[in-house]
Amino acid sequence: MRDEDSLMQHRSTMLILALFIACCCLEWLGSSKPIYGLDQLERAREQTQFFENRIRPALVQYCVECHSTQTEASGGLLLDSRAGWQAGGDSGTAIVIGEPSKSRLLIAMGYNDSKLKMPPDGRLPQETIDSFSKWIANGAIDPRTANEPTAGLQVGLQVERAQDHWAYCPLASVESLSDESKKSSIDSFINARLAKDNIAPAPSVSHALMVRRLYFDLTGLPPPVSELQTPLEADRPIDADIEQMVDRLLMSPEFGEHFARKWMDVVRYAESVTLRGFVLPQAWRYRDYLIQAFTKDRPFDQMIQEQVAGDLLKHDDIRERRLQMVATGFLALGNTNLETQDKAKLEMDYVDEQLEVMGHAFLGQTIGCARCHDHKFDPIPTRDYYAMAGIMRSSVALEHDNVSKWIEQPLPLPFDEESHFNRLTTELADVNKHIGSLKKTANKNVIDDNRVISVKELAGVVVDSQDAKLVGSWTVSNAVGRVIGNGYIHDENTGKGKKTATFEPSNLLPGQYEVRMAYTASANRATNAIARVFSADGEATVLINQQKAPPEDDLWISLGKYRFEKDGQAFVLVTNEQTDGHVVVDAVQFLPLDNGATVVGPTIAGNAQTKLDAKSPRTEPATKTDAKLAKQLKELESQKKKLESDLSERPRFITIVEKSPIDIPIHIRGDVHNLAEIVPRGFLTAILNDSKITIPRDSSGRVELARWLSSAKNPLTARVYANRVWSWLMGQGIVPSINNFGTTGVAPTHPEMLDWLANELIQSGWSTKHLVRIIVMSDAYRRKVTKPSEREERIDPSNTLYWRGHVRRLPIESIRDSMLLVSGELDRTRGGASLKSTTKADYDYKHDSTRRSIYQPLLRNSLPQLFESFDFADSSVSIGQRPRTTVATQALDLLNNPWVVARSKAAAKRYQAKLVGGDLDSFVQNLYLDCFGRPPTTEELIACHAFLADGSSSSADQTVLLEMLIQALFAAIDFRYLD
Amino acid sequence: MPPDFTNRRQLLQYTACGFGALAANAMLAGSQTTGASAGPNRFDGLHHRARAKRIIFLFMQGGVSQVDSFDYKPLLADRHGEMHTFDDARQLAKTGKPTEHHLMRSPWKFQQYGHSGRWVSELFSKSAEHVDDMCLLHGMHTEGVAHGPATLFLHCGSTNFVRPSFGSWVLYGLGPENQNLPGFVSIAPSVGNGGPRNYGNAFLPPKFQGTKIGGAGSASLTIDSLTRDDLPRQSQSKQVELIQQLNRAQWNRRGTHDEELEAAIQSHELAWRMQQVAPEVLDMTNESAATMEMYGLDNPKTRSYGERCLMARRMCEAGVRFIQVNYGDNSANPAWDQHSNLPKHADHAEAVDKPIAGLLQDLKQRGLLEDTIVWWGSEFGRTPYSQENGTGRDHNPRGFTVWLAGGGFKPGYTHGQTDEFGFQGVEGRVHMHDLHATLLHQLGIDHKRLTFEHSGRNFRLTDVHGHVVDKVIS
Repeated sequence: MRDEDSLMQHRSTMLILALFIACCCLEWLGSSKPIYGLDQLERAREQTQFFENRIRPALVQYCVECHSTQTEASGGLLLDSRAGWQAGGDSGTAIVIGEPSKSRLLIAMGYNDSKLKMPPDGRLPQETIDSFSKWIANGAIDPRTANEPTAGLQVGLQVERAQDHWAYCPLASVESLSDESKKSSIDSFINARLAKDNIAPAPSVSHALMVRRLYFDLTGLPPPVSELQTPLEADRPIDADIEQMVDRLLMSPEFGEHFARKWMDVVRYAESVTLRGFVLPQAWRYRDYLIQAFTKDRPFDQMIQEQVAGDLLKHDDIRERRLQMVATGFLALGNTNLETQDKAKLEMDYVDEQLEVMGHAFLGQTIGCARCHDHKFDPIPTRDYYAMAGIMRSSVALEHDNVSKWIEQPLPLPFDEESHFNRLTTELADVNKHIGSLKKTANKNVIDDNRVISVKELAGVVVDSQDAKLVGSWTVSNAVGRVIGNGYIHDENTGKGKKTATFEPSNLLPGQYEVRMAYTASANRATNAIARVFSADGEATVLINQQKAPPEDDLWISLGKYRFEKDGQAFVLVTNEQTDGHVVVDAVQFLPLDNGATVVGPTIAGNAQTKLDAKSPRTEPATKTDAKLAKQLKELESQKKKLESDLSERPRFITIVEKSPIDIPIHIRGDVHNLAEIVPRGFLTAILNDSKITIPRDSSGRVELARWLSSAKNPLTARVYANRVWSWLMGQGIVPSINNFGTTGVAPTHPEMLDWLANELIQSGWSTKHLVRIIVMSDAYRRKVTKPSEREERIDPSNTLYWRGHVRRLPIESIRDSMLLVSGELDRTRGGASLKSTTKADYDYKHDSTRRSIYQPLLRNSLPQLFESFDFADSSVSIGQRPRTTVATQALDLLNNPWVVARSKAAAKRYQAKLVGGDLDSFVQNLYLDCFGRPPTTEELIACHAFLADGSSSSADQTVLLEMLIQALFAAIDFRYLD
Repeated sequence: MPPDFTNRRQLLQYTACGFGALAANAMLAGSQTTGASAGPNRFDGLHHRARAKRIIFLFMQGGVSQVDSFDYKPLLADRHGEMHTFDDARQLAKTGKPTEHHLMRSPWKFQQYGHSGRWVSELFSKSAEHVDDMCLLHGMHTEGVAHGPATLFLHCGSTNFVRPSFGSWVLYGLGPENQNLPGFVSIAPSVGNGGPRNYGNAFLPPKFQGTKIGGAGSASLTIDSLTRDDLPRQSQSKQVELIQQLNRAQWNRRGTHDEELEAAIQSHELAWRMQQVAPEVLDMTNESAATMEMYGLDNPKTRSYGERCLMARRMCEAGVRFIQVNYGDNSANPAWDQHSNLPKHADHAEAVDKPIAGLLQDLKQRGLLEDTIVWWGSEFGRTPYSQENGTGRDHNPRGFTVWLAGGGFKPGYTHGQTDEFGFQGVEGRVHMHDLHATLLHQLGIDHKRLTFEHSGRNFRLTDVHGHVVDKVIS
């Protein structure tokens, strides 16, 4: 709208000016009685001359590199034509004719506004600025008309004309082309299209291949050999068998796991963020929600609503409510840079990420493009962007600090569990009260004798291990000795040189301190643990033998005396570089040495100032004056610990939280500090205007957004999802650009079939399984992969018309799971947390879980090498279709990756039993069935024989050969490509 | 063997050993990546004549202080201790207001070096011997006040969003020179402050991913899964033969002549070659004692960075396009991050100065500096004033120094300058986007035309920004 208006304005202004100049010229040349006085004309000529001599060269030299239609319209401002500056930029009018002081152009050149200094490389010479000032004062005559602003600028599809693009039109109610069953409808659409090009569809695959296809496509796993044994020779699928098998597979939990994983690509699921490797310990609940939803065929429109606004839906049934709440995790799993210091920007970055993912996942739209300017191609004005952003800004997603944090909340529980935890909370409060009152009366030495020492009781500033900044994986423990605060941490005696723990007190006041470190000694500890103290004096390294008990109070070792400055470096870094055992650290203490020093503390979280008596900073050695009291306290402390640990088992979930609704302003060029008019919360106007979905003043609008997104009237949602399901099974989308249904996307190959499928989805109650069933039962699905004839290659080289089958490259999850099946190690445990509860950072996270790939910890800084090289989805952005590449690192991994080698060894062990004294032929036969779902050909059999026969006959050699043979099968193309 | 590919476009798309986007598309003609002007024979398919073929980036993680290294500000010493108002970037992000700070002089002596007479502090006295080869950019500025955002911006041109790293763009544009080696490596990278994203391909195809060699905090310089040491090479060679035998049998059995499968089979051959070639490049034992000394391998203080620099030269000779040589660590306050105790800078300088000088000398004597760009710099600089009256300096993204050598940059030249205290650029300011644009320019790439379509948009390393700094090009 606004664009159209302003463009119209340009045009009319230009027209008038052009007429003006034309008139002048004509009169000047041809008439003795000018309409405008000669001196006026003379002045115009002078001004033009002035422009040519002074202004044009300066514009060319300093301005047009950024402000022209040829390059870019930085700030929306064009300076390569008169019409350009007349239109102004994003911040408004650039030149007020006759008023240099009011002209933004001159303000920018004068470097008077700290936010607007142009050109950015440095202030222009005063002389040049004076010229511009004079030019503007004299009317800013500018004869340039060459670059009309419309010429080079991309103007996107206007909202009013959105339906010029197919995807924004309402779903057509397509009649089934066939009166027969649903599946043959698909075939009618496809065959009708094929007939146009006179291409004959390829025949069906064999029954065995069909079984293999179905198992991998629906469950991500190969069929058990028992499934293959029946009619192996059948050269066509046996319909009745297939139908039963499809129903059985759709009912299986493996179907839920496999399809959940596909959706997890779309929603950029991960369990940690890149920044500092922070772990999202509750993310797995959202994964389990998806598995359950797909297994139970939860209606997809309902899934959309739950993912966008589940926390607000409030189902009566507690289990349902829990699922709804957990589903909201969708909004909170983005990979945001929580360290961004400009928190206003961080919040908008966060919202932008949410909108981007929602746009891709549900609508196939690139909404993020409209953050800085109206979408250059699609009908998404910036206004709409900020209308939707307002909805998301009406919820709190982060708690701000230097490093901001996501939000976790306790999950609602069934009544008895809820009251159980409530009881624990009350008990804990009582125990704490009791401890408090006992301590008041007790000698503090008694307290010192207890096994758990509270941080609050210690002198100086104490940083407990739970507040340390960790790099690499550290484990929390309290297995050995007395501990301070929340247990101690150790480096698991792994990843030497890759782990550090930084103990940094906040607001340590300047002064002299003794720095002490607490650890618990044991025989498995390092004799050369390294603590580095960073102080105003520099960096000091202290080596500690942790097999010996700490010298002070059996608790502390002094790291020396140091001076710290205000806001200077003040921290202790414990590293495990080249250490020879477990590196353990419990806490670090900064004891003030100056008399009367004021320290902040005692915990790093506290901001209160506490005066401490520096003369006796330490607790005196324990003298047991009151054994009874001590015993009582000890019991209470252990009770407390038990209660705390029980309470920590209360399930929590990651989410965002509603706050009071707010409408937000348009951010000019996406800049959070450059705001324009406020826009009311709303949706994308070009896509669906439904008078029944309006946002009440007092609500954020998230529930309405969820309804709007999942509406059957929304022309995009059902199409986008139906297309996804199709692509998951058929290898490519009817709309090949899966995540982009905008004007820059690719048009559907079979538009009517897409609409028919979308309608089927809606009419079946948004049933994923219904779509899957009708697709896999079609003839199109069961076609053989054939070699195209020259003609077919010419007409449809990419098989977009589905005249033959497509070669499936198994996803890395299936490759990995299949190897585990062959090695006999696959652990089928379902659901539950994937990370140890003590893991705080994801760097170099190692584990030896053999569960299905979907249950692997999915960490943004520690994606396993194998997943990296085999095109696993980038878990930081919504992925519609994974890249499919063939690179040498894949082959290197199959040859040398220690994980693959270990699977070959495990498999060899398993098969060896069958080989001893056995028949080599049937042995290779079995191996082939397990790896490829078929017996070996004669050629393959001979090759395998020859390989095993090579070398000596010693059993050790035989084992190695067997391992190598199995690994070769893993590396063969039939293991990862399926016809 | 199966027949040749009939569809070269797909072959190039699938295989790692193909060409870079520019070379490939020039061959195939009619791509928007290269634009209309790039004919197949002009400039070898590049946008314009290239001045360099590869880049070595010496990354000084944590932020080297410009006023203690290459940006000499005598006034700081004169006015040491005085209060002055600055637009402190951290305070500005939080409060939007300028703040007052104590000026702090450099504890190190400066002197003039070379024919060009550039002032360099004693911290870099050995590198300074090569100052006549350097092109110093004093007016650098960038985005991000904290390490996390600024480090990502340095590598990927964005503080927050997931974007491909510089090396990935270079590899995407140029393709590898040596098909048996990774084309983009990061030597001893840190796991923190973006970690793998700093050498990640993001939405570019995975073949443009950087390969990690070793890591910060580890002495070994190896590539994961490159070799297997529990099997004799001969045995593994037989195993590879078996794999290829089975693969060919399976390819024939399918009878579909699928190109992707063919590429997969070829990738095993490429991998096997890589497995023979790469360890040779990684193995430095054959270097002469003199060379080792030149890089400081004989001194425990300089050995670590010296090895990485020597490795970089070997990679450079072997035809790796982008080689990042990291000096940093895995902590949240990496290496050069002297918020207090500025004198600590001397330890870091000692660790890198001789190896860098050795690298420059070695590249020069081997004629490699002609077509190799050496880029030295941090994610940002440091303030000329003390942080909170202490003994250190805070981050400063508003003005800092980067130097470039070789690859067609003006030798012995300085560009731009900071204000009298060295706080922010006042002349010849070069934004990180501009530096990226200029480096790409030297490689024969127009940063505005090196695009990749993702999610409905054509993305560039420089987003919608960046200008080539012509003045620094010789």
